[in-house]
Amino acid sequence: MSLQHLWELSYDSKTIDILRNAKYAIPLIQSLHLFGLTLVLGTTVIFNLRLLGFGMRKITMPVLDKQLWRVAIGGLLLSIVTGALVFIPDPARYAANTAFKTKLVLLSLAILFQFTIFRRAVRSDVPPLGPRNIIIAATSLTLWFSVGWAGRAIAFLG
Amino acid sequence: MALALSVGLILMFDLRLLRLAFRSEPASRIMQQFVPLSLPGFAIMFASGLLLFIAQAEKAYQNTFFRFKLAFLVLAGINAAFYQVKFYPKMADWDNSDSVPRGAQLSGLLSLILWAGIIALGRTMAYEL
Repeated sequence: MSLQHLWELSYDSKTIDILRNAKYAIPLIQSLHLFGLTLVLGTTVIFNLRLLGFGMRKITMPVLDKQLWRVAIGGLLLSIVTGALVFIPDPARYAANTAFKTKLVLLSLAILFQFTIFRRAVRSDVPPLGPRNIIIAATSLTLWFSVGWAGRAIAFLG
Repeated sequence: MALALSVGLILMFDLRLLRLAFRSEPASRIMQQFVPLSLPGFAIMFASGLLLFIAQAEKAYQNTFFRFKLAFLVLAGINAAFYQVKFYPKMADWDNSDSVPRGAQLSGLLSLILWAGIIALGRTMAYEL
């Protein structure tokens, strides 16, 4: 079965018509998508500023990890579910969009990095400002904000 | 990007007030560590938002969602100012206990709802322009 066949399933579906036809369904879902993104990027900023030693020195890394990791994962799950709901009603449009394809690649890299190198750095209470932490923080911030920017660009690349 | 820096950090303090995160840390420490970092985020948000508004001021002004968004922003400001005046000076009293005064919790909840609303209204307004 080719992707085109898969897309046809969506365009033929009466259930998905509800999403396509309701005037505020997509804006509402996108709002939740942005809220999830705010949680992911917000926690990413906090983790990375702490890794770089900018402020928050009174809060230890294990405490940040314990408290913020679940917020980050919650935000990520919300973003993925709502993102899928935006994609499903009009798959052919997104699949043809360069910004969307770029975003999926960047998102995969960001998630991979988050659960491996980044998580290890966050869990170990290493002293900040080492070159290792700078590289990790720069990579994490670049990846996640690129995901955000690529997502915003979807609307402008048609 | 600025959205994450501003609202993202404010939400963490809201979660502390609602006792949903950082319960083991004094609320004043969370405030002192997170809230100042959110200020540059808000500065970028206002500047870039103003530029977007100038680009199509008349259309935006007539947009119902835009008007509600502005109203929500004002309310969020009032809520934050109210917290500063009413609860901030007395934070030392409950800082290290696990409890948070009802009013302060309400203020945190209100902040959470208002900011989520501001994001939603901003996103929805584009569909009406």
